[in-house]
Amino acid sequence: MRSVAKSDDSIRLTAVRTLTSVVADGKSLGELLPAARQNLDTRGAALLQELTYGAARWSYRLDALLLKLVNKPLRNRDADVRVALWLGLYEAEYMRTPDYAVTDSYVRLAKKLGKPWARGLINATIRKFFRERETLLASLAEDEVAETAHPAWLLKMLSADWPEQHPSIAEAGNARAPLVLRVNRRQLNRTQMLDALSTAGIAARPHELADDAILIDGNAQVERLPGYENGHFSVQDVAAQLAAVLLDAQTGHRVLDACAAPGGKTCHILELQPSVDLISLDSSASRLLRVEENLARLDLTAKTVCADASDTANWWDGQPFDRILLDAPCSALGVLRRRPDIRRLRRESDIPVLASLQLDLLQALWPLLAPGGRLVYATCSVLRRENEQVVGRFLDATSDAREVPLEVDWGYECLHGRQILPGQHEADGFYYAILQKV
Amino acid sequence: MALLDILIYPDNRLRDIAKPVDGVDDSVRVLLDDMLETMYEAPGIGLAATQVGVNRRVVVIDVSEDKNTPLVLINPEILSSAGEGVGEEGCLSIPGIYEDVKRAAEIRFRALDRNGESYEMDADGLLAVCVQHEVDHLDGKLFVDYLSALKRNRIRKKMQKSEKPR
Repeated sequence: MRSVAKSDDSIRLTAVRTLTSVVADGKSLGELLPAARQNLDTRGAALLQELTYGAARWSYRLDALLLKLVNKPLRNRDADVRVALWLGLYEAEYMRTPDYAVTDSYVRLAKKLGKPWARGLINATIRKFFRERETLLASLAEDEVAETAHPAWLLKMLSADWPEQHPSIAEAGNARAPLVLRVNRRQLNRTQMLDALSTAGIAARPHELADDAILIDGNAQVERLPGYENGHFSVQDVAAQLAAVLLDAQTGHRVLDACAAPGGKTCHILELQPSVDLISLDSSASRLLRVEENLARLDLTAKTVCADASDTANWWDGQPFDRILLDAPCSALGVLRRRPDIRRLRRESDIPVLASLQLDLLQALWPLLAPGGRLVYATCSVLRRENEQVVGRFLDATSDAREVPLEVDWGYECLHGRQILPGQHEADGFYYAILQKV
Repeated sequence: MALLDILIYPDNRLRDIAKPVDGVDDSVRVLLDDMLETMYEAPGIGLAATQVGVNRRVVVIDVSEDKNTPLVLINPEILSSAGEGVGEEGCLSIPGIYEDVKRAAEIRFRALDRNGESYEMDADGLLAVCVQHEVDHLDGKLFVDYLSALKRNRIRKKMQKSEKPR
């Protein structure tokens, strides 16, 4: 095969199209990027990632800036032009692309988007930004949405739930997340993995929060880290590494991972305790494939089942579980630093829908738990409505459920369960509660 | 090491289906070295034995920027694939032609390395595309086969014309 060297211009065009699809069609960067970066070399793929993630992260700020630069807002059908201008402003402000290169590249892009009329608009807007940069940026300080790059509804919810911590939550949501590994303790211990990384010249350190966690300083390509092919480690944030520990599965236990894909926690449960009978369930067949791939790479075994967890009549064989992990579908507002597009994809109205889905799942799975058994409820949200309030409503309605207090030194104590806020312990935002059947 | 001649479309030998390698011996390793040298010289990022007129299931690939990460695939098999994406492709056997082709976005494959050891690997991005492109060669398939008949005929005519002065 002959290489097709992509120019920066064609990568910018791909970035505009990808991010427009997030804004206009509600697709996530996670689902769009694998196809978009097909055929790009390492450098091109890195540029595409930087442009799309960066502009999504700062999009509320860039959009506020844009509104100060144009005479009237762009029409909905010109979402691509609006996104192109975000990207141009992003390159100018965050990437140190030379001013002239920004202007030239994005003016040229108008034609490639099939909108030659936008050349003048793009040219005038970007030039005006360069002329008035200082005043414009200073004027954003009064606008909380622009300043925090979070939508207004989310700021309102965060400040209601976390009156003292909400500025640091927003700040952490804009930070770049570190790469965290989970050492596969079936294969080697954390010291051996740290030695291997050090031999490969990669700066890394143990993470205080979880026994198997390693934090990589700086950028690294996961596939190139030592032992990747041999299943020596997985990539998983340290907060997510607490789930299997809290579940505390013992030899011979029957265990359910109810919303398992992509399988990080399923694999961790087995790494900690291989002698369990584990069912790894997910409603998406394609995502369940990822669970199977991860199991295979790490040389672990679990039964994978494709089903809607709450539809127990359809998949449960009537044998009770000693342990259930419910890593519930949630808003993912605790992981904005890893998935910056979430702030564009979520709507205020999603939250009550998610909360009732979470309660439904808890109630549907509870009868499957053996007396004395333990259920761990987890989300990567920071909203009380999805976390302690769901658990509270469940406890009120369920006479044979009691909460096991979390006697740990991480996170914040909630009415029920504990919350790690984003950035706290250098971790993603995560919520945990432990419920036991009496 | 020696540079090998690359067959140019529409050479019929590009349609041959290559035979599996029985054992990875020194003759295979010489072929691998020659193919790598030929690929780097071209310059290309992947080359299948079919393209140099050798009817064996042997592929070399290097998609790294610094051209220092050669990958050897003997008897490659694509085990699973997921997603899809469209990207521009070019081929050392079809000079000057670049067209969009739809392929799986992520694959898992198995192959033997230059020591005859079996390995499995997950690939996405350019590597995934390149493996699919090269495995196609071993099955006598070219990226232009994915295009419309009209487009393919136009390319064939263009290639036949440009071939004569060579």
